[in-house]
Amino acid sequence: MSVNMNKNMSKNMSRASEHFFRRLLGAILPLLVWLLHFAFCYGLAAAQCTPAAMREGGPDRTLMGIATVVALALLAWLVWRARGVLAHPGRAGLWQWASFLFAALSLVAVSWNSVPILLVPGCA
Amino acid sequence: MNSPLPNQSTAQLPNPVPRPEGELERLEDVWRTPRGWRFLSSVNNTSIGLLYIGTTLLFFVLAGILGLLIRTQLAVPENTFLSAGTYNQVFTMHGTVMMFLFAIPVVEALAVYLLPNMLGARDLPFPRLSAYAYWAYAIGGLAFFCTLFVGLAPDGGWFMYPPLTGTKYSPGLNADFWLLGIGFIEISAIAGAIELIIGILFTRAPGMTLGRMPVYAWAMLVVAVMIVFAFPAVIAGTALLELERAFDWPFFIPERGGDPLLWQHLFWFFGHPEVYIIFLPAAGMVSTMIPTIAGTSLVGRRAVIAALVGVGVFSFGLWAHHMFTAGLGVLEMSFVSAASMAVAVPTAIQVFAWICTLWKGKVQRGAPTLFLLGFMFIFVLGGLTGVMVAVIPFDWQVHDTYFIVAHFHYVLIGGMVFPVFAAMYYWIPLINGNRLSEQWAKWVFWLMFGGFNVAFFPMHITGLLGMPRRVYTYAPDLGWNGLNMLSTVGAFAFAAGVVLFAFDVVRTLKRRTQPVGNPWNASTLEWLTSEDYGNRSIPRVVSPNPLWDQPTLSRDVDQGAYYLPQTATGHRETIATSPVGAEPRYLLVLPGDSWLPLIAAAGTAGFFLLLTMKLNLLATLCGIMAVVGTIAWLWESDRGVPETSVDAGGGIVLPVGARGTASHSWWATIIMLVVDASIFASFAFAYLHVSMRLQVCPPPGSALPPVELAWLSAGLLVAGSALVWLATHALGRRRLPWLALAALACALASFGVDLHGLRAADLAPSESAWAAAVAALASYQGLHIVLLAIMALYLALRGWRGHLTARSRATLDNIALVWHYTTLQGMAWMSAVRLVPLLME
Repeated sequence: MSVNMNKNMSKNMSRASEHFFRRLLGAILPLLVWLLHFAFCYGLAAAQCTPAAMREGGPDRTLMGIATVVALALLAWLVWRARGVLAHPGRAGLWQWASFLFAALSLVAVSWNSVPILLVPGCA
Repeated sequence: MNSPLPNQSTAQLPNPVPRPEGELERLEDVWRTPRGWRFLSSVNNTSIGLLYIGTTLLFFVLAGILGLLIRTQLAVPENTFLSAGTYNQVFTMHGTVMMFLFAIPVVEALAVYLLPNMLGARDLPFPRLSAYAYWAYAIGGLAFFCTLFVGLAPDGGWFMYPPLTGTKYSPGLNADFWLLGIGFIEISAIAGAIELIIGILFTRAPGMTLGRMPVYAWAMLVVAVMIVFAFPAVIAGTALLELERAFDWPFFIPERGGDPLLWQHLFWFFGHPEVYIIFLPAAGMVSTMIPTIAGTSLVGRRAVIAALVGVGVFSFGLWAHHMFTAGLGVLEMSFVSAASMAVAVPTAIQVFAWICTLWKGKVQRGAPTLFLLGFMFIFVLGGLTGVMVAVIPFDWQVHDTYFIVAHFHYVLIGGMVFPVFAAMYYWIPLINGNRLSEQWAKWVFWLMFGGFNVAFFPMHITGLLGMPRRVYTYAPDLGWNGLNMLSTVGAFAFAAGVVLFAFDVVRTLKRRTQPVGNPWNASTLEWLTSEDYGNRSIPRVVSPNPLWDQPTLSRDVDQGAYYLPQTATGHRETIATSPVGAEPRYLLVLPGDSWLPLIAAAGTAGFFLLLTMKLNLLATLCGIMAVVGTIAWLWESDRGVPETSVDAGGGIVLPVGARGTASHSWWATIIMLVVDASIFASFAFAYLHVSMRLQVCPPPGSALPPVELAWLSAGLLVAGSALVWLATHALGRRRLPWLALAALACALASFGVDLHGLRAADLAPSESAWAAAVAALASYQGLHIVLLAIMALYLALRGWRGHLTARSRATLDNIALVWHYTTLQGMAWMSAVRLVPLLME
């Protein structure tokens, strides 16, 4: 009985794991894009202004610009993919709402976060 | 996922009523809270929650008194009420106690008390861990506070910047008390966070999908995850600073390659998310109270939940805005400045949702409403000055002035203290059915609200006029006299409000117990009738507002018509449900009351505090008490019960307990290992940070061990893990304990090889920060090997005594997880110390 129960339970678990992590990752992907973009730009700027990896002329803003374009393109696609929420806002579930809002928030945040790349040269 | 289930109140309920005779009595017997002095052995979330909340409020009052001492000293220029030295201790303790002993613990304490009932669970999944976390905090915190009475309190400011807190400028024990005392209290906060994550994801009432989960539970989930990633940074930081102070490992001393900014990075990588760790629970409580007082559902509920998560993630990009004057590059600072403004967007989503909900509904007048409106006014002002100080040039002007003091008090008192007071007015009826006085509440509110603004608004101006924070006095001709006196008057008015509130609480709690009912007509489950065992039966929920949308729910739950109206195994138990859809998975058997968590906590607190005082013998005794207490506590756990499955009602037959990835304890171990990995990552960051300051790495005179030794060490670790893997497949076999001991031999040999290599390379940690950082990584690995030694012996003993079986194998599975993690960490530290010099070539 107990073995069967455990087997059934394991089966239930895998079904009832409900793709938790896949759904979670799908929803928070835009926030992770923001996080990675932020960490990359901050890390590159910090590294290229330290004795170990000092770069003449300051941090490589072209590389940061490329990272930004990639991040913004990805986020724009994620917003587009989640746009269905706007058509039926009442019917959309929490995951759909979260996917849309995270994508929109991250798009705004990455855009705003990238303004300094255009404005600030050098390490000073 | 939000498609409503059929309303159970109109359909067949899971269990027939009336319930059989004696069932309720058995349930009561199992859950009965001990009386008298034995109450201290209670582990039930209601008992621990109330003790926890009470202790945090005690610290709020104590730290508040320190605040009044500060204001008394500053009321007039050139005051001699406090000496400069005492003033340093007083302001350091005010900030430290408010942040570490009040603000963080109170949000966890409220969650321990409220969440199980709000989620429809009988208790949190690890009640003894809650008890341990509470007692470690209470004993450690009170002893820490007492250092003030003997002049040994820390005096380097609540963020303890080196070099001021290094041995050169702080030679006494004061800083050590902060580092060891606060360091281990943070461990207690992490224990609480793990408990909350598992509780929220695995013990919700059937049908309470993530979409229907109360916003407060969402907030606590986000906060607990933030704690898991943020607190390790400061734990690592405090460990490094204590290593510098105790063994002269110069992590923060520039002359030997260290960097004081390393501390600031580690501290604020914790410290800024921490502001949101404090604010988000308050926001969650606000999002729970506002719909009730407005009598309508929360506007934009899904957007509010998404905003909570958004704030939680963005808050990890803000740490360096505390370091705008520390000499970081302009580009890095600009990124952080932009992120500091971006976080205002999801915060504003919540504020607008609250305003819209109030607008949409019909607002009940009353004490919670007053405090919620006060919260919104003060917090929005604090948020706006926050955006101001996110602008770098403005921050350069006001950094370390009273403008900043005003800003963070507006954020913290507005964003957290006012909501907590609203929460107390709102939820105190849960304790004995009595509400606090509405008449007194008006006095309390206006004294606190008025006093707060009179105290802190002028500080914006004092700051703009140039008054620096943390000065113990000032000259009379600077134009600050009137503003300072005004601030002092306001502070005392605020305190009068708190005193009045305390009297009212005592008065109310002394009253005769009344039926709790649902005094605010709230929609969430904590207002179901609740006893020591929680609800009579565990409800099925079909909406985010169950008490509004399921009108007979309360009656049916009370009659025992829902799930598990009995104790099925004769032990304490609750239903474990799936993380997304909250469908019943298994019966989670909970441990009962015990003195062991208290003994283990007292031992842990004693160990850390006595070690600080260099009373090594007593500290060792306390350490033994902690280890023995913990092992005795664990020895009783993970035991099978005779029943293999139980009928919870409604055709749901639940297996008793679960194994492997299905088990809540497996997930708790995974989260603990994430914390562990984050601490390790912080040490690795320290290594990277000091390496990046070098032109040549390793620095002249230093070297790494031969690479062959690293391969040998890694091989031994992998062999140990392989043996443990074999042990997990040898359940019930005589060889299992021997496999564990053989694995231990491999782990010990691996570390022996590491040590030999470091010695052969002549690594001298006190010579350079680089060498110290390598030694810190090695020491952290060593700490894990010690842990594995204890675990392997414990596992072998359990195996020999027959306590490892197919139905009680969590110990084995969880130790295996820790073992494999240690193997990975061992390889990671060896790779990290070798890769960085290669990259720098």
